[in-house]
Amino acid sequence: MRTLLPFLKPYRGQFALVILIVFADVGGSLLIPTITANMINLAVGGSSVGRIVRQGAVMLAVALFSGSLTLVGGWLCAKISADIGRDLRTAVYDKSLLFSASDFERFGTASMITRTLNDINIIQQSMINIVQMVLPVPVMCVMGILFAFRINRDMGWLLLGGTLFVLLAAMVIIRRAAPVFEKLQGFLDRMNVVLRENLTGVRVIRAFHKERHETGRMRNTFEDYAESAIRANRLFAGLDCIATASINICIVAVLYFGGSRVGTGEMEIGDITAVTEYAIWVLFYVMMAQMVILLVPRAMTCVRRISEVLTHEPEITDAAGAAEDEGGDEVIQFDKVSFCFADADENTLSDVSFRCRRGETTAVIGGTGSGKSTIAKLLMRYHDVTDGQIKLFGRDIRGISQQELRSHIAYVPQKAWLFSGTIEENLRYGSPDASVEELYHALDIAQADFVRRMPGGIRAYVAQGGTNFSGGQRQRISIARALARKADLFVFDDSFSALDFKTDAALRRALAEETKDCAVLIIAQRISTILHADQILVLDDGKIVGMGKHEDLMRTCDVYRDIADSQAKGGGQNGERTGLS
Amino acid sequence: MEKEQDYLEEDVIAAKEAGKTLRRFLRSMGKQRVRLVIVIFSVAAYTTFNILAPLYSASAVDLIWNRIRKLRETGQNFAITWEDGGKQIVFLLLLYAAASGFYTLQNFLMASFAERLSLQLRSEVSEKLHRLPLSFYDRHQPGIIMSCITNDLDKMSEALQTGMIRLFVAVGVVAGSIIMMLRFSVLLTVVFLGFAGVSLLLTQVVSRRTLRCASRRQNALGKLNGLVEEAYSGRTVIQAFNYEKQSSQRIWHAAEELARASEKTDFLINAVNPGIRMVNRCGLVSIAVLGGSMLISGKISPGIFQAFFQYANQAGEPITELSYMINAMQSALASVERVYTLLDEEEMTPDVQRSSLPDEIEGSITFSHVQFGYVPDKILMSDVSFTAKPGQKIAIVGSTGAGKTTLVNLLMRFYEVSGGSILLDGRNTSDMARAQLRSCFGMVLQDAWLFEGTIAENIAYGKPDATREQIIAAAKAARADFFIRTLPHGYDTMLGSDAENISIGQRQLLTIARVFLCDPEILILDEATSSVDTRTEMEIGKAMKALMKGRTSFVIAHRLSTIVDADLILVMQNGTIIEQGSHRELLHADGAYAELYNSQFA
Repeated sequence: MRTLLPFLKPYRGQFALVILIVFADVGGSLLIPTITANMINLAVGGSSVGRIVRQGAVMLAVALFSGSLTLVGGWLCAKISADIGRDLRTAVYDKSLLFSASDFERFGTASMITRTLNDINIIQQSMINIVQMVLPVPVMCVMGILFAFRINRDMGWLLLGGTLFVLLAAMVIIRRAAPVFEKLQGFLDRMNVVLRENLTGVRVIRAFHKERHETGRMRNTFEDYAESAIRANRLFAGLDCIATASINICIVAVLYFGGSRVGTGEMEIGDITAVTEYAIWVLFYVMMAQMVILLVPRAMTCVRRISEVLTHEPEITDAAGAAEDEGGDEVIQFDKVSFCFADADENTLSDVSFRCRRGETTAVIGGTGSGKSTIAKLLMRYHDVTDGQIKLFGRDIRGISQQELRSHIAYVPQKAWLFSGTIEENLRYGSPDASVEELYHALDIAQADFVRRMPGGIRAYVAQGGTNFSGGQRQRISIARALARKADLFVFDDSFSALDFKTDAALRRALAEETKDCAVLIIAQRISTILHADQILVLDDGKIVGMGKHEDLMRTCDVYRDIADSQAKGGGQNGERTGLS
Repeated sequence: MEKEQDYLEEDVIAAKEAGKTLRRFLRSMGKQRVRLVIVIFSVAAYTTFNILAPLYSASAVDLIWNRIRKLRETGQNFAITWEDGGKQIVFLLLLYAAASGFYTLQNFLMASFAERLSLQLRSEVSEKLHRLPLSFYDRHQPGIIMSCITNDLDKMSEALQTGMIRLFVAVGVVAGSIIMMLRFSVLLTVVFLGFAGVSLLLTQVVSRRTLRCASRRQNALGKLNGLVEEAYSGRTVIQAFNYEKQSSQRIWHAAEELARASEKTDFLINAVNPGIRMVNRCGLVSIAVLGGSMLISGKISPGIFQAFFQYANQAGEPITELSYMINAMQSALASVERVYTLLDEEEMTPDVQRSSLPDEIEGSITFSHVQFGYVPDKILMSDVSFTAKPGQKIAIVGSTGAGKTTLVNLLMRFYEVSGGSILLDGRNTSDMARAQLRSCFGMVLQDAWLFEGTIAENIAYGKPDATREQIIAAAKAARADFFIRTLPHGYDTMLGSDAENISIGQRQLLTIARVFLCDPEILILDEATSSVDTRTEMEIGKAMKALMKGRTSFVIAHRLSTIVDADLILVMQNGTIIEQGSHRELLHADGAYAELYNSQFA
């Protein structure tokens, strides 16, 4: 809850206004029966039609005035909650940008999307409901009882008693229903998960002959859900009945006690109508509020989930320093780097040391899980090393700002990710001020000349996730995006595997020319991609098991030779026409 | 809240055969029908009492008022005694108590009625799901089936639970109140109905606008959703290119657009009730003024005036709610109809139990003049015959969509052949129980299916009683042990339903480990290694080779490198086998395989 306060603060003025309007609304609701009672009293007292009409005019004015104010209040409430929703969304998103890869994975993409959209949606709706339906309740209770006291003290006590009784019952039931509701939500999610698994995994389920097991699993979730739902419904029904009975008892009591008061002249006959109406209004408001209050725990869960994101301390703290290029050859140095994911009992990388120099290509090769992609992630500081140091121009990258570090690096991720918009917009991620010629140049080097042939050229439309391009095309645009950047180090994280061999070769040739003054780090699966690298690191289980040129490694490194053999045998991987085994 | 959103009901999709569905629905209620009859009776009683109560209270008030007036003339005070009003008030209390009693009865009866009904239907569906042929799953998207089981039945249950009672009560109360009001004063009733008409009209107009706004909000939400999804998925790129500020701006704009759209929609939803209330109040003002004048002229008594007010209040809201409630019931019926359609889907032919498999399976597979088409009148495979001897490696190649999974579907009897037969060790597979047949196969599918549970549970899916050692051994054989160890909780790491905490290659390794553990006689490897890199693929290949010894295996792959040593290669195109033979034979034949081979190696 404390997390929300700063977000509410900018809107305190509007909130105050809304509360004021709530008073007007409630006042209006209570004045109508009061005036009606007056009219009855006037009428039975033998008053003139003119006075009745005058009373009617006052009543009409009250109805219209309080009604319009209520509408204004409703609009304000919608606006405030929409604005707060927007602020929260932006805040969650901005916070996510500060997260390291591990920070982010702790939440997961799907969960982060849910938090940014659904959770905040629920918070937003709950705010509207609370302001519209819970906030007026105490006002209505207090004012209704005061109005009753104004008519007659005993009537006031009567209403006070009735209200307290219903409030108490509501509180007891809500307290019991809250955990049931929370459970219900959990069961609903579970039901969806199990169903989805059954539908998407039908082949596997049948292959393993687990139909009965799965039917049982589904049945269990359905039963859990139904059981909780019935319990929740019963609690609701209970409260509903108590409240209805209370209203009825109040009406009769008002008639009984009021009748005698009228008889002694303490009250007038019309006042009975007024007090009855007050009682109905008060109890009606309490009833409306109970539904909303039951949904509050769910909203609180959402608030908690948002807070988790907003208060999460990013693992990587940003330093302010800058790294000066002192003109040396060495751009990046890995110095005895080890990396272990938090809570894992084995290192993903152990004791890795190497240097990337200008004009040199460094390649990393290894199997799935060998840790090769982790090298790029550490370099980009998506994670911090557990041991050792990574240095940029001789300075520990933890001592410089992430922005500074990344401005020296052009990075091509494993998964070519394009953003919706145009190709140009995507390329400008790399270099906002580049001329159109420069962008085309980058595309040409990346062998993405297909863009020139597209209608609109670099203005061509990119769909969400780049789905209107093939994997190879996306990869080439992603490479061009990096090439458009003026950088000291180019990192290709397994970026060539989606390309066919011809393109791969042509790209590497063009690249060599383009990056001759820069350091290049290529992480690859295909030997052919890295055949001509100046130094090749062979990773196995997170350790360097070989380092050198292709020819040396073929002689000295078993793991490397294994990889080479596996790719040479079928030929499907490296494009060389080899004999059949 | 529930009430406020009632007006937001989407366009109603009426049930196609409402009558038939309704009859069947009543049959589904089965044992609970008695309960329903009691509820209907109770609702009728409650409504009657609710209509009578104000009438009776009016007479009580008038009685009291007349006594008071009479006594006032003589200067005496009035006090309620048993004879003077007390009797009437006690009777009124009894009326109300009876009404409350029936109200409680129907609410509690309905609290479990609807949920039990949907549990019953859900259970029927869950059993049905595994009797449906696979073609059903290929024809329907999971999302649609899911929404049928969860949303549709929830909608039904909600409509039954609150909607039905409210509908009955509303009809009764509106009709009863209007009759009572007419008895008191035709003029006042006409005034009341006039204003009710206005508020009805207002609701219609507002709800139509609300629907439009809501769809605009839905669009804005979709847009933001897409943008956020994209930004989170591509966050490394955003960070790599120092693009945080621009990206944040983009999100803000989309969030702002959504905020403005929600503001309008929420306002309209919020405005309906106060709007109606305002109209109703204007109506009450008119009634009060007119009624007041009538009171002066003595045309009506204070009791009647008060009762009329109570009726007007009571009937005002249900009138505007009626049309919504009828819509809700209709769409609930349509929901139930969708569930029935699902329950009526054609099922698989029941298993034949007569032949049982011998304990020792050799693993020879013979396709004998197999004919098959996914749609009966469109035969894809017209006459396919081949034999896989025990221990042989059969490779299946062909471009995407050539029908490689068709073969798997037939082998596992996910689909039945249209003609000819498939023999396992010389016995017709259609004479075996499906489960029995499938237990001979181990299969690794294209999409690595994992369920919400620990990694160990997922590996042991086919063999729940496996020991931890066996599981670890299987994981090691599938080369999955190392990455599992680097996960936060090792083998006890919980996989989310979308298992996003591990990569696609890793998911595939887990499904391979699952098959390793089951140790089946025949293997089907459906492009299992397509997203595992070459070295890992080779390691798996070695382990598979050991596993394949003495076992028949069917390998589907895009990479020709993995299948050149196959004993038999089946080349598929357009759902049928167009060539078969060994690598050498097929190259010699210079047909489709030769072309495919040369294009991949050129």
